Amino acid sequence: MGNKNSKITTHDRAVLDLLVQRDKLKQYQKKIQTVAEKETQVAKDALLKNNKRVALLALRKKKYQEQLLSKTDAQLLNLEQLTQSIEFALVEKELLAGIEQGNLILKEIHKEMSIDKVEKLMEDTADAIAYQDEISELLSGKLTNDDEDEILAELAQIEKDQLVENLPAVPVQDFVSEDITEDIEESIPQQKVKVKTPQKQLP
Amino acid sequence: MSNAFVFPSIHDFPPFYTFQPTQTTWQNQVALWSEIILSYYRHHKLYRLELSESLNSELFHNKGINRRLKLDTLQMIIDEMVKQGMAEWDSPPKKTTAIIYWRKPEEWATLINNWVFEAGITNSILTVYEIAHGDTTEGLEFHKLDQIILMKSLDILVKKGVAQTFQGTSADDIGVKFFGIN
Repeated sequence: MGNKNSKITTHDRAVLDLLVQRDKLKQYQKKIQTVAEKETQVAKDALLKNNKRVALLALRKKKYQEQLLSKTDAQLLNLEQLTQSIEFALVEKELLAGIEQGNLILKEIHKEMSIDKVEKLMEDTADAIAYQDEISELLSGKLTNDDEDEILAELAQIEKDQLVENLPAVPVQDFVSEDITEDIEESIPQQKVKVKTPQKQLP
Repeated sequence: MSNAFVFPSIHDFPPFYTFQPTQTTWQNQVALWSEIILSYYRHHKLYRLELSESLNSELFHNKGINRRLKLDTLQMIIDEMVKQGMAEWDSPPKKTTAIIYWRKPEEWATLINNWVFEAGITNSILTVYEIAHGDTTEGLEFHKLDQIILMKSLDILVKKGVAQTFQGTSADDIGVKFFGIN
């Protein structure tokens, strides 16, 4: 149990000890509560037999148990606060480790890209882009006027096609809805038939 | 107990309480008895069956028809249930107490693991006591789960690598840490 390369730290064990103490306190409280309830019963029984002395003793015992109970309540609260602070501290510790790790990596990455390098790279890129532009210009210069005309014609054709596609659909609906209103106005019995048919299809 | 358990009609059938020597009849009898035991235990959330004690309970003693199951017949029934993974003898080879699995330890393990995930207790530490008796699990299915079944379910989670059990300063108190994978 827990001796093979366990992920359990000494912190965990310390927390467990606290939790066990909490469980024990809770069990103790349960015990006190049952005892206190019993004393009340004893007092009631004694009073029925007119034995005031026993009843008083039982009630005193009960009072004492109740005092114990409230004391353990305070202890429980203490324990719980302690365990929660430990848990929270552990979370903070992990968070700190995480941030440290992130920082380290960020620094390493920065080492690999010095400002000079980046500046030179950006210059090179700008040069390359300029060079590319020059090539494009030279190439497009080679196109004849006929080619240009063809290109423009194709562009116009595509634009026209897109225009047709984007036109709103031919309003069929308007036509149908008129039909329906006529139907309703003309014949109510027809509607009843319409309602019945889907019911027949059900089974 | 809260609301009464409704026994099936076979429970009022006198021959049901005597061992049936015909193989097929016996198998049928065992199947029906184990079904009744499982649903009775599920209904009342019971886990342990003390054989001689329970022979006086309404489960095995039908006062209405004045029939009672015999101890050796009950032992044979439990033996069959053990074979099928529905029960386990508490301390074999003694056949005095059985643990009834109306939910298998694997299923309990899944329930517990789901709860851990949903309650966000991943990576924190719990005591075995608080899983079964703590305020946080009150109203949950595994509240007041039998200690032996609970330990078995936790062992399953440990083997899967989603939890680890460990001891504090005193060896009696066992804690669990859940890692929340799977």
